[in-house]
Order: sequence, then C-alpha cells, then structure tokens
Amino acid sequence: MAWLLPLLLVAPLGGAACLALGRSRWTPRVLLASCAAALALALALVARTLTGGAFTAAGGWLHVDGLVAMVAIIVTAIALPCAWYGSLYMPFVAERDHTDARWAPGRYEALLLGLLGCMLVATAANNLGLMWIAIEGATLASALLVGYYRRPGAVEAAWKYLVLCSVGISLALLATVLLYYSAGRLFGEEGAALQWTHLRDAAQQLDPRFVKLAFLFALAGYGAKAGLAPMHSWLPDAYSQAPTPVAALMSTALLATSLSALLRFFAITAACTGPAWPCGLFALFGALSMVMAVPFLLVQGEYKRLLAYSSIEHAGLVTLAIGFGTPLAVFGGLFHLLVQSFAKALAFLLAGSIGRGAHSRRMDHFPGMLEASPALGTLLAVAGIGLVGLPPAGTFVSEWLALAGGFASSQGVAARIALAALVVVFLGLTFHWSRMLLGRPREGFADPLPAGSHAPMWALAAVLLVLGVYLPAPVRALIEQAAQVVLP
Amino acid sequence: MNLLFPDWLPRSNTVNLLAGAFLLSALYAAAQRRLLAAITAYQWNSVALGLIAAVVAVVTGARHIALAALLVFAIKAVVIPAVLRRQAMRGGGDTVAEPFMGVPAGMLACGGLVVLAFSQTRALFGAGSSILASCLPVSVATTLVGLFIMVSRRRALMQVVGLVIVENAIFLAAVSLTYGMPLVVEMGVLLDLLVGVALLGLFVGRIEETLGDTDTTRLTSLKG
Repeated sequence: MAWLLPLLLVAPLGGAACLALGRSRWTPRVLLASCAAALALALALVARTLTGGAFTAAGGWLHVDGLVAMVAIIVTAIALPCAWYGSLYMPFVAERDHTDARWAPGRYEALLLGLLGCMLVATAANNLGLMWIAIEGATLASALLVGYYRRPGAVEAAWKYLVLCSVGISLALLATVLLYYSAGRLFGEEGAALQWTHLRDAAQQLDPRFVKLAFLFALAGYGAKAGLAPMHSWLPDAYSQAPTPVAALMSTALLATSLSALLRFFAITAACTGPAWPCGLFALFGALSMVMAVPFLLVQGEYKRLLAYSSIEHAGLVTLAIGFGTPLAVFGGLFHLLVQSFAKALAFLLAGSIGRGAHSRRMDHFPGMLEASPALGTLLAVAGIGLVGLPPAGTFVSEWLALAGGFASSQGVAARIALAALVVVFLGLTFHWSRMLLGRPREGFADPLPAGSHAPMWALAAVLLVLGVYLPAPVRALIEQAAQVVLP
Repeated sequence: MNLLFPDWLPRSNTVNLLAGAFLLSALYAAAQRRLLAAITAYQWNSVALGLIAAVVAVVTGARHIALAALLVFAIKAVVIPAVLRRQAMRGGGDTVAEPFMGVPAGMLACGGLVVLAFSQTRALFGAGSSILASCLPVSVATTLVGLFIMVSRRRALMQVVGLVIVENAIFLAAVSLTYGMPLVVEMGVLLDLLVGVALLGLFVGRIEETLGDTDTTRLTSLKG
C-alpha cells in the first residue's frame, strides 16, 4: 500500500503542475522529475512485492502482484528515457517544423504525464471497471498526442486510431459486463463481482459460457488496443505519425498495459474453463499476428512503419508464447514483453534523430549511418540486433525460451510457424539494417539534436544488452511471480 | 413511487415498449440520409435508455440506479447530442450523409441483423425470467445496427453517431444483465464517453480543415 498510492498519484500531480507552470523553464524539469519519481516508486513496489507477495489496497479497488509490478516497471522505465529524449527533441521540432501544432505551453507535458498516469492506474486496478476506464483514458490521451502535428497524415492516423480503438474498447466493456453478470449471483456485495481477485478465486463457480463469451470480446477489444492481427490496421499509421517520444511510449508501455489487461481476462478464463481453450485462442491470434506482419516488414520503405510492423510481430510473439502454456514458454513470453520494450523504444527514439537529420522517413535516404555518425550508427546496430533477437541482446534469450517452451508444448505446429516467421523477419531486417548501416553516407547528414540526446538511448541499449548476458535474480523472481499470476 | 408508476401499468410491458422504442430509434438513424435527423434519432435512443434505467430504479428501489439513470439522461440525451449538433452545423449545416448502400438495401441488411441477434441471443441466454428479458436481444441487435451504421457511411460524423449508438446498446446490456454496474464505474464510463465524443468532434473539425470535406473515404494517404 505504502508505495502504490504515491506511484499512481505522482504522474497526474506532475501533469497538473505542468499545466499550471505553462511556459516556465521548470515545465520540462517537472516532467522529468515526475517520470524519475514514478520509476523509483515502481522499483520500491517491486522490492515490496518480491519480499511481501501480492496484496490488495484501497478497499479492493487496487491490487499488486508480480504481473502488476512487472508492467509498472516496463511503463516507468520506458517513460523516463522517452521523456528525457523528448525534452530535447520537442523544442527542436517546435523551432524547425512548420506543421508543429504549437500547443499551449505545458500541454504536451501534461498529456504525456496523463497518459503515464492512466497506464499505471490500468495496470494496478483490481476492479475491472476501473481498469476499463483507465485504458479508455489512456486511449484518449494518446489519440490527442498522435494528432499532435497539423498535417493531413497525422489527422488521418489519429482519426483511425480513435475510431477503431473506441469500437474495440466498447467490446471490452461488453466483456466486463458479461463477466460481472456471470459472477453476479456469487457475490451479493456491491461491486465485489467486478474485482479481479474475487473473480479469479471463484473462477470455477462461474458459468463457463459467459466467461468464454467475455474472453472473446476482451480478446477483440483489448487485443485491438495491443495491435494483434487482424485488429491492427490503426497501428502503423498511428506509430508513424505520432511524435517520436510518444510513438516510443505507445509501442512499448501502452502495449504492455493492454496486454496485461487481456492477461487478466486470460487468467480468469484459464481458471474457469481450463487452460487449453484460452491458450489455443492466444496461440492462434499470436501466430496470425506474426505471420501477417512478415510481408509488410519485408517490403517496407519507411523506418517508423517498419518498427510498427515489428511491434505487431513482437506483440504476436508474446501472445503466442503465453498461448503455448508451458511454464518455460510463459516465462519466455513475459521476459520478451520486458526486453523487447527496451529494443523498440531505442529504435523509435533513433527515428527522431536520424529522420530529422536526413530530412526523410525513408530508409534508403539514410545509408551508411555507421560512417555518417558513429554514435547513432552504433545505437542503430544495437537496436537492430535487439529487434531481430541476436545475441547479446536480451531478446535472443527471451525468444529462445519462448520457442523452446513452445516445442515442448502440445502446439508444436504454432511453434514451427513462429520459428519460420522469425527467420524470415531476421533476413528482412538484416537486409534493411545493412543498407542503413553500411554503404556511402549521403552528403550533409548531421545529428540535429545536442549530444545529450544520446544518453537516454545509451541507457536503453545498456539494459537491452545486459539482460542478454546476465539475468539478475530479482528480475528473474519478478518474472516468475508474474508467470504465476498468468498461469498458476 | 406509485405516482410515478401507476399499478395498472404492467412493468414488463413498459420495459418492452421502451426496448422497442430503443431499437426503432436506432433503425431510424440507420435509415437517415440527413445528419441532423440521425442525431435526433440518437437522442430518442438515449431517452429510451434513460427511461429503461429509471424503470429499473423504480422496480428495485435502488438509489444508485436512479442516479445513474439521471446521469445517462443528462449526458447521453442532452450533452452529447448538443456536441454533435454543434459540430454538424459548423460543417456546413444539414449535410446529406451519402451511404455506400442505398437506404432500402441498408434497411434489409439491418432487418437481417436484428433477426440474427434475436435468434442467437435466445439460443445463448435462454428465454430469461426477469422483467428485462426483452432488453438483451434488443441490445445485441442495436450493437449490430450501430456497427452497420459505422461501416456503411462515409461522413465522419455519421460514424460517430454509429459509435455512440453502439455505446448505448452496451449500456442497455449492462442494465438488463446486471441492473447496472457500480455507480463509480458508470460515472467513469460516462465521463470517458463524453471526452471521447468531444475528441472525435475535434478531429472531425481537423479533417475538414485539412481536406475541406469530411468524407472518410478520402483518408487514404497512409498505406502499407
């Protein structure tokens, strides 16, 4: 309890302060301080969870377990570097770019913190209604951020994102209602039937027909939010049009939050109907997402859209790994959710520096990055091995574990499909990356941002590489606890 | 309570009547080519929803449901239609929202969806025993009709009307299955809906600003 309420309050309070401060030079500092405080509090929460185990708080509205602590770490550990990079990138954009929105000062910072706050509340909510409200809140805040620039593409992307995710999220509301109904007869007390901990404990007494229906709607609703195929069509547009720090945050933190919401429904369904049914659906949609992303990854010309399809592929892999249902695969899937966040955030932040330096979004417009800018080139190489899952990046270990667990499970066919998809993606991304890294650089490429903008990217790269060679005991314990929550 | 609800009026009949009005207003919206008429149909849809919630509040005597009914009335039947109307007037008045499909064909499709919803819901949930038994198939049917409006119209604001009708139908499902969710949750859901509609209105304005038109079939610059 002690660390939870400050964690949930720090972002909204910081956002209000940013709105109040406006043009003051303190506004970016408040943003950074809020993100840093959130990360520190999330780390404290992890320590508390590892020693003390799961607990509920605030009269059953909030709870903390391994999954909550893990997603809170992903959200806050990515938010800090993104905000840090953004504090250098956004003033640059405001200066150079005529399509910049010129929002009222402080509004960008406040919305970013509002998004962070919504994601943290959605993560820690025990009441499924509260979780829905927070995820819808995150959708609204991020839609405004996607439409930041005043150009037709950004408006189109924000419109698609808002409409598709609103439909998706109303299906998720229907899922919540159905689950509430299936449990209504068990709990007389007002609102107890919406509490996830109650529902999971009583899962075997719920009516399986309604639980299955609820799971299907949740898969469509929260799955659309996470970008699973075939509900992914908003995603490449939104990620490629959003300002760089926002895209980085959405493709990692918001993805983890939406998946954790889906995993809450998964855990109840697995406890009610037995794991085979929901696991089969997870494997199906996970494999579908991976396979669907492959052709778009191969022929893609724009760097940020490439990352968006890579994001669909990674979300598919996490879902598929949990669908395998063996302890090793679930561990691998959750570990992948953690490490791929660092690789993807790094790759997206690079899109800001490189894209602005080359005045282009297209990959063939910035060849020879290693020669043009050794620091950015090296970071780009690290991001590349992170995305394809080569050692020493942490994604290699997580993909290995997920697939090993998959081949040991009863769904060997899906594991073979995933392996084939990963191999093709590896070939395609290696081709794209070799073009971007090697060759003759174009005339006049210069990193447009101050050198300080490399620091948050180096931090992300360091975590990505360290997790590939060394898995600290607390991290391992945390992921094991999270896996226990998903599939006991 | 007796003044509000005379004993000679059977409650289940009242609910059935209101559920019928709910479904018919959604179908009326689907049949409209004029935007303002569709918004009015949505308003009637919301009024029917608010009245159903009020009947439930009277029958159960629960104060929180009465409050929720009041909120539904205020937000869905007054504020959101006002927001939509303002946006519609700003975008050149009562524009014709040309559907992809002619109105008779669209009505035929909607009729098919309603039949499908009624037959499948009965199969899954059984005949039901509460006074709200008629509401669940209506809610499923209205969800499908709302989604049909969303996919069959080009005009951006018409898609928003379809979306809010879907939201209404899910609210009806919540009321008819569980007599509504806890008050705090309902308030949060309504708040999110209100902000969402305001944002959609904002982006409709931006689409118009950048394209000079709100025909969503022209939003095709992003591909692949």
